[in-house]
Parts: sequence; C-alpha cells; structure tokens
Amino acid sequence: MSANISTLVPSRNHGWSMGFANMLGKENTSWWRTRRWWMQCLVWLFFLNGLMAANLANDQYPEDAIMNYLYVAGVVLPIAAIIMGMDSILGEIHSGTAAWVLSKPIKRPAFILAKLIAYGLGFLPTAIILPGVIAYLHLSVYGLKLPLAGFVEAMGLVYLNLLFFLTLTIMLATLFRGRGPVLGITLIVVWSWMVPLSTWLADVMPWRLLIALGENGALPPMCYYLLFNLPLPTVAPIIATLLWCALFFGVAIWRISREEF
Amino acid sequence: MNTFANLISKTNLSKSSMDNNDEPESIISTNTKESTFPVIETRGLSKNYKGVQALKPLDLTVAQNTICGFLGPNGAGKTTTIKLLLGLARPTGGSGYMFGKDIEKENDEIRRRVGYLSQDPRYYDYMTARETLRFTARFFYDGPRKEIERRIEETLELVGLADKGDRQIKGFSGGERQRLGIAQAQVNYPDLLILDEPAAALDPIGRRDVLEVMERLRKHCTIFYSTHILDDVQRVSDTVIILNKGTLVAQGPIEELLAWDHATCFTLTVKGDSAAVEARLRNQPWVIGIETISKNGSVCWQVRVSDPDTAEAQLVPLALKSGGVTVCEFGRKAQKLEEVFLTIVKEDNHER
Repeated sequence: MSANISTLVPSRNHGWSMGFANMLGKENTSWWRTRRWWMQCLVWLFFLNGLMAANLANDQYPEDAIMNYLYVAGVVLPIAAIIMGMDSILGEIHSGTAAWVLSKPIKRPAFILAKLIAYGLGFLPTAIILPGVIAYLHLSVYGLKLPLAGFVEAMGLVYLNLLFFLTLTIMLATLFRGRGPVLGITLIVVWSWMVPLSTWLADVMPWRLLIALGENGALPPMCYYLLFNLPLPTVAPIIATLLWCALFFGVAIWRISREEF
Repeated sequence: MNTFANLISKTNLSKSSMDNNDEPESIISTNTKESTFPVIETRGLSKNYKGVQALKPLDLTVAQNTICGFLGPNGAGKTTTIKLLLGLARPTGGSGYMFGKDIEKENDEIRRRVGYLSQDPRYYDYMTARETLRFTARFFYDGPRKEIERRIEETLELVGLADKGDRQIKGFSGGERQRLGIAQAQVNYPDLLILDEPAAALDPIGRRDVLEVMERLRKHCTIFYSTHILDDVQRVSDTVIILNKGTLVAQGPIEELLAWDHATCFTLTVKGDSAAVEARLRNQPWVIGIETISKNGSVCWQVRVSDPDTAEAQLVPLALKSGGVTVCEFGRKAQKLEEVFLTIVKEDNHER
C-alpha cells in the first residue's frame, strides 16, 4: 500500500486563514470528543441550576432567583473562561505543542482565532444554553413566565461577559509567559465591580451587564431591563464590551505574530 | 581559526553562483537547476537574546539530497539556528534562504516543503498517533481523504508504529514519541527534513532504527539534523557542520573533515627490541609524529604520516630491516569523527 503523491491535493489556502480550518477542527475535537463537554455541562448545571433550585426551595421569589442566577453566572463563568483560555495558550507554549503546530503551514492569527472560536462555541451550549433552558423551565414551574426574547437577550449578556474575559485572557496569555500575571490581572478585573470606582467605569466595563453597581444597587444590571422587558437606560456597556473584545483579540494577534519559540 | 579556514571554505557547492544572484527565488522550479543550488543558505545570520549573542554571523550551506550533520556542544546555537530557519524565532541580523526563499518574508512557503522534528517533541496527549498524523497531514493536503489515510498508514509502517496507530499518545514511551515525531515530520513528503536531536531519547535499537529511516529517506529529501551522537553522524552523513559558542568552526564533506589536518595515522605493533626501530622511523621525513603504547610485552606505535603511500610501502620493511623485532599488527588507523570534533572544538576554545 503506497500513497500516490500525485493524487494528494495540496492545500491551496495561502491567505490569513491558512491552516485555520484544520486548527479549528482540532480545537473542536478537544471540546467535543473528550470528556470536556460533559464535564462543563455538569459543572454549570450544579453551580447555576443547583444554586437556583436551592434558592427556590428556600422560598426565594423566582424573580430574585433568576437575578441571583445571572449574578453568579457573571462572576463564576469568567473564572472558567480565564482558567481554560489561559491553558489553551500558555499550556501550549510551555509544553512545546505551539511551536510544533506553528512549524507547519498555519498563519499565527489563524492559530489564535481557532482557539477563540472553539472555546466560544464550546462554552455556548454547555455553560449558557443548557443551564439557561433548564433555568427557564424551572422558573415556569414556579409560575414566573418571563418573556422569551428578553430571557434570551439576558443570556446573550452572560455570553458577552464570558467572551470579554476569554479574549482578555487570551490576550494576556500572549503578552506574558507566566500564569501569575494572567491570573492576577484577570481576577482583579472580575472582582473590580466591588470597588466604589466601578460606578464611574460602569459604562465602559462589562460589570454592569449582569451585576448591580453602586450603593444598594443604584445602577441595576442591564440584564434586569432585558429580562423584565423594560427600556434599557443605556447601551454603552454592551458596545464597550464588544469593543474591548475586538481590541483584546487584535492585540493577541499582533503579539502572537511577534512571538518567538 | 586559520586551521579551519580551508574546511569552512570547502563545500561541495558553488557558492559563487548564489553570490551572483541576490534574488535566488527563481532557482527552485526546475530540477536540473535546483540541484546546483543549496537547500539551505545563510549569510551572516545572527541572533541575540537579551543582549547575549546566541548565534554569531553564520554562513552555512546545505546541498540538496544530502544528509548534513549539525554538530556542536550544548549551547553552541544549533537549536537557535533551526528555529531561525523555521521562522519560530526572528534573526537579529543577516539573512537566510531555504529553497531560495527568504526565511523571514516567505516562511509560509518554506514550511510547506519542510518536515520538522523538535528536540523534545510534544503532541496532544488525547490524540492517537493516527489522529496526530491526520492533523499534521491536513495542514498540507486538502484531500482526498482516502489518499491521506493511505499516506498515514504508510508513514506509521515506515516508523514501526503501525500496530500502535490507534493508541493515545499519553501512553507512548520516549522512543515511540520520537518515532511519531519522525513520522509527522515526513508525512508531507518534505523536500527537507530538519531533525533536532532525532536519536537523543532512544535506546541503541531505537537509534539504529532512526538511522535506517534516515537512510531510506535520503533518496527523497535532504536531511539536516543536529545531534551529539558522533558515531551516528559518521555513519550516515555526507556533510558536517560544526558550531561552537555560536560560531561556525567547520563545514564540509565528512571525508574532508576526517582528514582535516592532512595527516594519516598507521598502527604498527611489534615485539622485541623496539628502541632502534622507533629511532629509525622518527628519522623518516614523512613521519610527523609517533605515539607509543606498551602492553603485554609488545609495543604499539601510532605513526602519523604526511605521505600515506610511502608509509604504507615502507613502514613494515623499515621495522624489519635490522632484525630483532617481529611485526604483530599493521594497518591504517581509521580517524574517528569524535576525535576530529573534540580537537576542532578544543582548538577553537583555545584560540578565543
């Protein structure tokens, strides 16, 4: 048995996406053909839906239970994005697999983009859609009929918040060789909503998407307005978070293109 | 350094032909023309890391369809050179060409034609060997799937992993990882294989197998490999490049390197009254030096000569001329690459 070199079709992609499809396929495999996907499902069902079930069982109002759900999603999901995003870049750089892959015909931006898309697509069903659907059904059982569109939009904010921290982590992982600075900076950003300064930055940071800021929750979270079909007071935090994601991704691509292995 | 000047300049390539053409891009398309040009050529290629010069301006040349051993002590700059060639690091100065293409500006095209095995190969542990090769092959080929799978099977067989193709890599031994490394490096029918310490983690049998694979591949591609195992280099290489402390100290065909001081050594073992014979030998104009080793009542001379033909004809008659000695053994001593390497590196260190 001998392969015929003349019948093998050489890859013709020479542009920015050279090697992207193959890399994305590999990243998707690492999500969906390992235990990672069902582990993620279990973790988020336990943390998000389990907590909501406990709150409802303790006679918490369904309206408060869903706001609690979104708050927990706003501070816990980023931690998963940070740990996994950091490992996807630094783990590969430290182990040497990044150098191996980049010695093949692949563009460096494609290497980063494949990871971002695969992790984004991995978190979407396991940490957003599945727990969200179960939460919606659960609330219905307790008599809270939320407008579906508003609920989906609120889940969209959970996802946007997660993407912010995923892109931030990927950028920092390309800028620093150690896990310390990446973890330190990202965790500071996650928890900075607690400091008084956060109200000043409410419009330019993602905190207000899911968390009430200010004294006694003076600035309700954006998800509250969407969930209960109220007019949004501002879209600035949404726009700002999208812009941050684009900026972080751009810096990550610039940095990985200059990286030496 | 002058001692090695002849070796550095001795290369089986016509460098002047490249010098006349600053844009060597056009050289690769036709086979006849390509064969006269180097696969790798660097001009003053250098690399600094945070103020430390890891590689001093380097001019090296590797010809097509040769096996080139890249030698040097630890920290000599071998891996740095390889990383520069592959675009995994950026040069601080100078330039480099592979297949006539600029290593900085046209690295994507270069990587399509190269297979690379790193010093400490790491792959995705959750993948099987077959999946790893499939992942590698898909960077080079869009299809057809059947042919790609056939190529993967063929590659697994070549490196002796056919029966382990569906095992996860995390259960692989060091030797199996190394074999997989060679398999992934050549799955794309590369024109150039760059192997960084391909036999370092292997037992003697694994080492032998790797050398056999290299010998089999030499028909199809150029192999540029770094190693510390000098016996392997002597066994399979056509040319040798020696780096020391970031500087090129020798480059050329292995036969020329083995004869680098133009002296041939003969071994002559005698029994009996050897003092007079030794004095007679030392008086010969073609004898450069004699090293004497006495053991078990016999004397073994290692005679370095400048005229091997005369020495071969006259050494034994001269020893027997006055009687009193019996010649037990006589022959030409094979020069070992290890001796040459150590001498070159030692002299280079001394001159610094």
